[in-house]
Amino acid sequence: MSLFSSRAHASVKDNPALPAAPSSWQKKTSSGLSPKHQRAAIPPWLINTGSLIIMGLLVLLSLSIGVADFSWSGILHSIINHSANSDSSLLLVSRIPRTIAIILTGIAMAVAGMIIQVVLKNRFVEPSMVGATQSAALGLLIVSLLFPASALIVKMGVATITAMFGMMLFMLLIHRIPPTDFLMIPLIGIVFGGIIEAVTTFIAYQTESLQMLSVWQFGDFSAVLAGRYELLWLTGALCVLAYIIADKLTIVGLGDNIALNLGISKRQVTWLGVGMVAMMSAVVVVTVGMIPFIGLVVPNIVSRLMGDKLRRSLPAVALLGASAVLLCDIIGRSIRYPFEVPVATVFGVVGTVLFLWLLLRAPAEQ
Amino acid sequence: MPTNTFCSSRSTASSFKRPLLTVMMTALVASIGLTACSSPDSSDSEVNDTKVENNTADAASNVANNDAVSVATIEVGTVKGPVSLAINPSPLVVYDMTLMQDLAALDVAVDGMPSRLHLDNLHSKTQPEPKSVGTVFEPDLEALNAMQPQAILVGSRMAEKYDALSSIAPTLDMTIDTANIYESSKQRLHDLGALFGKSDQAAKLQGNIDGLIDETKVLTKDKGKGLVVMVNGNKLSAYGDKSRYGFIHTVLDIPMADDQIADARHGQPVSFEYLQKTNPDWLFVVDRSAAIGEDGAGAKAVLNNPLVAQTNAWSKNQVVYLSPDSYLAFGGYYQWMQDLTTIKDAFASAK
Repeated sequence: MSLFSSRAHASVKDNPALPAAPSSWQKKTSSGLSPKHQRAAIPPWLINTGSLIIMGLLVLLSLSIGVADFSWSGILHSIINHSANSDSSLLLVSRIPRTIAIILTGIAMAVAGMIIQVVLKNRFVEPSMVGATQSAALGLLIVSLLFPASALIVKMGVATITAMFGMMLFMLLIHRIPPTDFLMIPLIGIVFGGIIEAVTTFIAYQTESLQMLSVWQFGDFSAVLAGRYELLWLTGALCVLAYIIADKLTIVGLGDNIALNLGISKRQVTWLGVGMVAMMSAVVVVTVGMIPFIGLVVPNIVSRLMGDKLRRSLPAVALLGASAVLLCDIIGRSIRYPFEVPVATVFGVVGTVLFLWLLLRAPAEQ
Repeated sequence: MPTNTFCSSRSTASSFKRPLLTVMMTALVASIGLTACSSPDSSDSEVNDTKVENNTADAASNVANNDAVSVATIEVGTVKGPVSLAINPSPLVVYDMTLMQDLAALDVAVDGMPSRLHLDNLHSKTQPEPKSVGTVFEPDLEALNAMQPQAILVGSRMAEKYDALSSIAPTLDMTIDTANIYESSKQRLHDLGALFGKSDQAAKLQGNIDGLIDETKVLTKDKGKGLVVMVNGNKLSAYGDKSRYGFIHTVLDIPMADDQIADARHGQPVSFEYLQKTNPDWLFVVDRSAAIGEDGAGAKAVLNNPLVAQTNAWSKNQVVYLSPDSYLAFGGYYQWMQDLTTIKDAFASAK
């Protein structure tokens, strides 16, 4: 299917069994794609197992790479002797927290991208293209200027609210766009995000906080240590919630009439999805900073491989998102060793290449 | 009915499409421009690579003294080449905090200064309060025009606005060269002394700085290696000897804990593991949040973690917090005096 074809249309084509009751096509998930596509597509379990193996290797690499001296034999000694040594404490204080933070961020941004793409029925959007991350940064800046000493959870709460507010404004904006004009949505989103970012930059400029703002605008994991990333687990919980309501999100993504016919409250599910995306963006911006492109590239790749049924594709989106960020952080850590290149910069480059490939590659099947 | 709605939505779409697109393109261009401004480097553009011109002030002032009839003029070395102007220009406008500190120490009246500055010792206490002429980023051209200054002194940040400012009054770009901060700041102090007829006092102030440097150097000798880090939010960057904090290595001769950062002008983003591995004996900390007048968690809270605790600097309590001036007014008289005193005291109390 072409990347430019309407999402809703493509989904219906992919899933002829859809108008049936949800319970019946839930069972169909295990048997995979419709017979017509079964020849071309790789079965989901194979993709997921492959992704899991790749992610496992990247996790090992991520744990091994770092500036401080570290050896796995030291860890082995520590386990055998049941005593802590410098290697095991380094692993617990620095390496494991960083790796977990990377995985959670990757999962969160990719899943948030997928949710927003389904809810808006548009392939070309991601949290930073609907004003979510920019609004979160704006909220974070304002709360940091007004109440610099407030707790992280307060800052995150404010960032979530502003992210929600920004996305609501965006939803109101695109409400006025005719549904046929779906390239307008990302275009408006980019402009909308740009305007919010401009406001944020202006405030930061006037208050001499541009450097502080840059901490959130350039996501990187160099500051992650035990005790300084745990908020990210919240995004993990949100991803589980996304998996639970995956079928409802899929149905909403198929269009208003289908949702109505299947008895799904479109409004409710849409706002739940938007709220989840706002919260995920806010948590990631507060703890590590903005990382563009993941939410755009990863769901698009997965959607090409295994279609748009969320129940089936969400695990693959999560795994690929985690692996992509792991890979980029490993590159960022090694390319100028012992200094770091922020993961946002690395992903900016890798993401651009991947996105161009997605756009220019000939459609796999037609 | 459905056809009708469809038609109407189409027609509205096409009717507002063009103007909307134009608006969006404009906004897009504007936002790209602003994004460019927000890149981390441009906000505190450090010193340009321009060589500092040799100063010819002495020669010029001698000539001026001989020719007592005409108004005494002097040639001042600037980044953009020597500029000649009348001694004791007034009204005087200053946009650079380094130069403000030098002028405050020289007790020179400054008539216009940007507002909302977060440092002390920026203007002489015995002179009238300066008027506001904008911010450190943006000159208020109306106010400047009303004031009709005889000279505008700029440095690093405001150097970008040189052209706009020089259309109003003679503008002197006296940016300090960070790679050679001692010589460069010495030259500036000397030039300002000559420009305002206070060469003797400038020499005395330089003597204070030099004396303190010598005292500090005696204490820092063979006391171990040092590393300068800036804490910004919860993130760290390391600075080398060509940065604005390079005086710690180049003037005070404290060896660098990591000489790989030798050519780093802007800080290098580093992790806490880097600090643990580099293991400096002395950690010099610039707290960016404190430097811009915020409370926040503070650099100490950010550094207080198991990895930094393993360094010599932390375990021996040899962490020196540099003044906000080192960030905003590097090379200024009071910055030298404050930071040298802080470093001297820290090394004096070291075991």
